[in-house]
Amino acid sequence: MVISSDARWEMVDAITRQTVTYGTYKQTLGDVLGDLTVKPLTGIPVAVAALYAFWSIFTSFAGTLVTDGFMVKLFDGYWLPWLQSVWPDPTSWHYFIFVGNPAADTCFEAFGMLTSGLFVSIGVVLPAVFVFYLMMTILEDSGYLPRLAVLMDSVLHRIGLHGYAIVPAILGLGCNVPAVTATRILETKKQRFIMMTLLALFIPCGAQLGIMMSVLPDLVGVVMLCLVVGFVIFGFVLNKVIPGENPEILVDVPPYHWPVKEYVAKKLWNRTKGFLKEAVPFVLFGVLVVNLLYLGGVIQGLADLLEPVFVTWFGVPKETVGPLIAAFLRKDLAIAQLSTIPMTTYQTVASVVLVTIYFPCVATFVVMLREGWKQLIAAIAVLFVVVFIYGGIIHAVGILLGVA
Amino acid sequence: MEQKITPISIYIGLLGLVTLAFGLADIFVWAGVSPGLQVGIIEIAGDDFFRWAWGGFIMACAGLFMLSGCTRVTTLQQSGKVVLGGALVWLIAGTDIFALLCAGIPAEEASPAFFNSLSGFLAGFAPPYTPAMVLLPFTLGILYLIRVRDADDS
Amino acid sequence: MTEGRADLPEGGTTVLMLGNPNVGKSALFNRMTGANAVVSNYPGTTVDFTRGTFIEGGHTYTIVDVPGTYSLEPRDAAEEVAVRMLRDCPDATVMIVLDATKIDRGLYITLEVMERGMPCIVAVNMMDAAHEKKITVDIAALQRLLGVPVVSTTATSGEGVRTLAEQIRKAQVANLGGIAKRLRGEEPRTESLRACGGCGGC
Repeated sequence: MVISSDARWEMVDAITRQTVTYGTYKQTLGDVLGDLTVKPLTGIPVAVAALYAFWSIFTSFAGTLVTDGFMVKLFDGYWLPWLQSVWPDPTSWHYFIFVGNPAADTCFEAFGMLTSGLFVSIGVVLPAVFVFYLMMTILEDSGYLPRLAVLMDSVLHRIGLHGYAIVPAILGLGCNVPAVTATRILETKKQRFIMMTLLALFIPCGAQLGIMMSVLPDLVGVVMLCLVVGFVIFGFVLNKVIPGENPEILVDVPPYHWPVKEYVAKKLWNRTKGFLKEAVPFVLFGVLVVNLLYLGGVIQGLADLLEPVFVTWFGVPKETVGPLIAAFLRKDLAIAQLSTIPMTTYQTVASVVLVTIYFPCVATFVVMLREGWKQLIAAIAVLFVVVFIYGGIIHAVGILLGVA
Repeated sequence: MEQKITPISIYIGLLGLVTLAFGLADIFVWAGVSPGLQVGIIEIAGDDFFRWAWGGFIMACAGLFMLSGCTRVTTLQQSGKVVLGGALVWLIAGTDIFALLCAGIPAEEASPAFFNSLSGFLAGFAPPYTPAMVLLPFTLGILYLIRVRDADDS
Repeated sequence: MTEGRADLPEGGTTVLMLGNPNVGKSALFNRMTGANAVVSNYPGTTVDFTRGTFIEGGHTYTIVDVPGTYSLEPRDAAEEVAVRMLRDCPDATVMIVLDATKIDRGLYITLEVMERGMPCIVAVNMMDAAHEKKITVDIAALQRLLGVPVVSTTATSGEGVRTLAEQIRKAQVANLGGIAKRLRGEEPRTESLRACGGCGGC
């Protein structure tokens, strides 16, 4: 049906009259703030401030209040001495596995399944993960997180990444397990693969962050810098190398509103429950397996075998090889182990960065396997290459700066 | 409401200037211009990159937001900037207070008790304060601004 | 125009993004396709156009940023290309982008496209600007009148973009006679979106 130009204009007028009203809309402060937070000039300072608040509350609550304030006292002052006194026969293999070093006076150094394993999972990681998801959920539900993604989008498109991809990345700072699951929001295999690999490689989880903070608080910044740089470089390279499409990720951007308490509580509970169910058993199991491997001399054998690579290529001391192997099971435990080895600043940073990128923990490994074994194998291949190259780069930079 | 300079603008402008100055002071002290600064109840320790350099940058931005929004402050666009600036100050002050709170609840490391005594808890909130905390009561004027705006929508 | 067709995409659904100049069409296009856009030259002309893909609900859409035009009676090279693109892709879905502050200008071309019997979806973009100017656009009423999906978007902040992408598969061929009747107040609210059962006012 074709009509004349005049008839069309008549219809346009009629439609406009019925649908558009002038001078009625009352712009709200929320509208203006929504604008200001996505415009780069004002949005970037706000994003910087949001990160600041996030990190500050995270360290205050998880570090100062729960872990240092209560958990350390509880575990080192009561749990460990009690366990050491009641467990029979300090020289036996089961004492070694479950309680660990009989001379230890902190749960960090004991390395038994019921000492370090419980302390790390309940005392350090659980509060970190809890407060992390709480803030994450509030940011998400208030509408800030999608806006942050839009803001990042403009920047990240220049290197072929998507702003929205930071959502799984930020989730990964809590625990890689739900983050791998969150990569399902990505549309193509290529995107999911890149994101999973980058997550496993460069995003330290809440557990690692928590341990890093309590073990080497002064170096967290340097380590994070190394990781972010690696994330960007290898994200760019992977995007170029891997065939396939990398379409835009479309995310719902709701207007700003106060988060609904019930939804926040529900989401928080689901995420924390996910962590308790999937990650905590693996910490305990990980300590068990590592202790068994120690007893069997496997770790020592691998350490001897791989020693030349680690010492000459990465420039880290021989003793770090054991923790690096153990990192497969729990990276956070490995960092705690590393902290007991005397090292220079460079060596500490290099080995902690290596542990972080080195291998996904078993829990992450399992969820990645669930996403497809072919992808998992490819991810592992990429991982070995990246660890080798990036470890070498860090060593080279260290040499150039004269600190290695 | 077309008047350019009103008492509210002057107030916001001054607040913005002070906030900006505090922010820059935070950064300078951290950078080593001065080894920690204490004026009255305000203390800038400047020991920690995160709190003073990063936090100082945010304070400086907050000051700039308020300054850029202080003229014709009753229009929505402008008051949006002021509110955003205020929100940044609240964020810093809020995290400072939260940090004190978290440090105050558990007992000393050496003591056998788990919880701090009430007096010990309250002692944690004694002066000196960080600049953001001192600014906090003054920024509450911004809330008044929002109220005024809601009352007579321009 | 076979040489023209060769350069237009194959596979998936083609979406032609059409609208007046300066309605934030390119910003919306960038929001939807991100870093994948390819710029090509329309064969036989000096006019460049951008094309990109996005995936929604497992379905691939190829989206073409058609040069801005005020009507389908071409007056310059860019408008000429716009008209030829519509002719060359008869199976395409047309996404008409309106400026929320100047709805009337974009509605003219909307009606012109509808006359061609192509499935349409309407994006009312720049909602933020409209709110700033205190203009309210009754999206639900517009959708009911036009009988095609209407989505409000703000390309700069990304609001509504996701919804727009989801609604593309519900694009409808509009019935001008029906629109005229509904404008006169006859058959109110009956012929709303067929594919979107009972949610004419959603």
